[in-house]
Amino acid sequence: MSEPILEVSGLTACYGMISALKGIGFYVNDNEIVGIVGPNGAGKTTLLESIAGSMHIKEGQINFLGHQIERWPVLKRRQLGLMLVPQEGNIFPLMSVKKNLEVSVILSNRAKKEELIDRVYKLFPVLWEKRRQIANTLSGGQQKMLAVGIGIASNAKIMLIDEPSIGLAPKLVTKLFETLKKIKEDTGKTIVLSEQNIKVLNIADRLFGLEAGEIRFDEKTENLSRDVVKDLYLGSIS
Amino acid sequence: MLLLPSLFVFKGGYLQEVTGYVYLFLIQGYVAWFLFFKSGQPFFGYSVTMAIGAYATIVLTEMFQWPLFASIFIGAVLATVIAVLMFLSTSRARGFYVSMASFLLAILFPKLIEALQPITGGRSGLYFGGLTALVGYKTLYLLVIFLTAAIVAFFLWIMGTKTGRILTLISENDRLTQTVGLNTRKYKILAYSIAGFISGFGGALYVNYTGFISSVDIEVFTTLYIFFIPLIGGSKVFYGPVLGALFVILIPELLVPVERYLRIFFGLIFILVIVLLPEGLAPNIQKLLRKMNPKRA
Amino acid sequence: MILNGIITGLIMGGILSLPVLGVAVIYGITGIPNFAIGVIGVFGGFLTWYFLSFNMGIAILVGVVFCFAIGYIIQRILLTPISERGGDSTLFFIITVSLGFVFEGLMRAIFPRPSISLALPRIGTINIAGVTVEGFKIFALLFALGTLVIIRLLEEHTEIGKSWQATSQNLKLAKLIGIKTNRVFSIASGIGCALACVGAIFWGSLYNLNLMTGWDLGFLGFIIAVVGGIGNIWGGIISALIMGMVMSFSGYLLGGMWQSVILYFIVILVLIVAPKGILGSERSL
Repeated sequence: MSEPILEVSGLTACYGMISALKGIGFYVNDNEIVGIVGPNGAGKTTLLESIAGSMHIKEGQINFLGHQIERWPVLKRRQLGLMLVPQEGNIFPLMSVKKNLEVSVILSNRAKKEELIDRVYKLFPVLWEKRRQIANTLSGGQQKMLAVGIGIASNAKIMLIDEPSIGLAPKLVTKLFETLKKIKEDTGKTIVLSEQNIKVLNIADRLFGLEAGEIRFDEKTENLSRDVVKDLYLGSIS
Repeated sequence: MLLLPSLFVFKGGYLQEVTGYVYLFLIQGYVAWFLFFKSGQPFFGYSVTMAIGAYATIVLTEMFQWPLFASIFIGAVLATVIAVLMFLSTSRARGFYVSMASFLLAILFPKLIEALQPITGGRSGLYFGGLTALVGYKTLYLLVIFLTAAIVAFFLWIMGTKTGRILTLISENDRLTQTVGLNTRKYKILAYSIAGFISGFGGALYVNYTGFISSVDIEVFTTLYIFFIPLIGGSKVFYGPVLGALFVILIPELLVPVERYLRIFFGLIFILVIVLLPEGLAPNIQKLLRKMNPKRA
Repeated sequence: MILNGIITGLIMGGILSLPVLGVAVIYGITGIPNFAIGVIGVFGGFLTWYFLSFNMGIAILVGVVFCFAIGYIIQRILLTPISERGGDSTLFFIITVSLGFVFEGLMRAIFPRPSISLALPRIGTINIAGVTVEGFKIFALLFALGTLVIIRLLEEHTEIGKSWQATSQNLKLAKLIGIKTNRVFSIASGIGCALACVGAIFWGSLYNLNLMTGWDLGFLGFIIAVVGGIGNIWGGIISALIMGMVMSFSGYLLGGMWQSVILYFIVILVLIVAPKGILGSERSL
């Protein structure tokens, strides 16, 4: 619990001339849920993509499980145990739900594969019911569940989820967050999620406040008052 | 422009012949420079417009006994018509399909010339006296240089006018230009007309100078060859095609002993040039030029 | 004569469907239009011809394996890096056409003859409704259709097939979940070129192969694949068969010279008349 498994320091990334991250430093401990909060354009997505390797960084170090991974390709980071569930384009649209999950367990061994897929079905029973349906015919909420399901099926040590609550009805947000908490408790996984939704306070162990590419606060959730977070960093409130 | 008169010095037989080719392809290269790089129109039918100008000139003078200058003019007009038709018929499609349709036309055309062997001579080609018989070889050579210079000057002039600036705008952002309220279609048709006419005229000039044309001369390789004149030389600067034409024509002359490997060599050069310019075709070319300039000057 | 034309058309179309499938695999998975595959396939056909007197099986294997390797290598060292830097279709068009010229040049330089015909065993004759057809032609047609079915089955039911589908549908996510997408691209490109080679070998044993055949196979293959719908294998086969009929009858009625003129004319016409239909096709296999 005390030893950080992911440590980021001095992370800088740019889109052309505009710098999106200005020397970010933070850490994530084993088996915790960390929320990255901040308004639109704060750099949340850029940060997650930089860690996952799909965004090219300018400077900085990323240490994961004792490896300096900042120059590694996506695949190598994935093999070490990092998985990003992107905000958009997070399913394979023309494949059935079942196939979506089958392809996501590609790195696991044969025996583990079925177990992982079963776990996803248990967490999201609706995916089991719709397993034969083509993914892009699912409702928005179901597609989101599938996206998170793909993340779970990947069986990564750390799952990075980019704004899972966006476009979801309030009831579903609560349910999804509860599921994430359950995943953490049942499987000992670590979850990092970027959020604008205040409900993230209910599940996160720690919160980072991100604004204009810089870290503004880093606090244990119990030390943060709801209003402080709300006033400073959260855009949409539900 | 300043580069051109200096080459008048060469008047020997072989050098004259070779530089003559440089000028003739330079005309086509500037057409590609104007249409593809400056106006952003994805056209790959340069060998077709050139061939139409050439064949129309021969067929009209030899078979229909038309006066030479009328034939040249009609040949250029026919090339214009084909270029504009190509644009109009593909204007609904996305750029890539326009490139493909015009490239397929460049594949089709030599086949058509071969199928029409009784008229065009097919692979065995047609001989043509034309202007050489009229004014002599040396005068014609000077005429070619003079006309090339005039055509280059014309292209430079047009890129400086309002029309030219609108074409540049179209090449940079077609949709934006449309929303600004300009009739981009009109300007594109104009660009295709100019390109078609000059390419056709250049083709007519080519066949007058060489005195011979066959389906082999206008194979699809020719169109790529022409396209790479501005690309290799540098499309950002006006003298780019001059360097490109020198390169594309002079290198094969130097490589005559290993002629059978010419296509391999050019294919590889083409790929290398593109790979060295990762952001696309036009940008960074000056950097490349700086690297290549001292070697070639 | 009509029946004869139909049978010839079916066989031509069936053989044509091999490079069509090659294009569909490459374009569907990598998103890169590769116009060199026809020329590479014909190069493989020339290789097979070169070794044919030695041993037929080995000769065919040499051609097909060579094409697979070339497809794999050009994707690995040239096309994938360029597409990662964000190349557009026109750029790939120019690059792959240049690549085609390199291989056409190699064919000119290496092989002693510019036009060849492969002598493969004819496997007797079969009589269909009064028309005698060589067993080999039937074999070619069945082989082509069989290959299509096998590729389709592979894609639906094997792990490799699923990762192909995933790569073609969402490249970024495919990378994130740990698919070796670069290898998928290279293999797809290799298979595409190998299929083009098989097509070229059949073509060369029934008709002949020359320096232009590769361009014909590559461009016709691309247009047919796109018109039939990249995502729709049956659409591809049907348009290949229709194209085969057109070739067969234009050959009968107008003679060889006009045949390819007509063919390219139709292809350009299709591009002009139906750009909407072409653009609407899904980019997935």
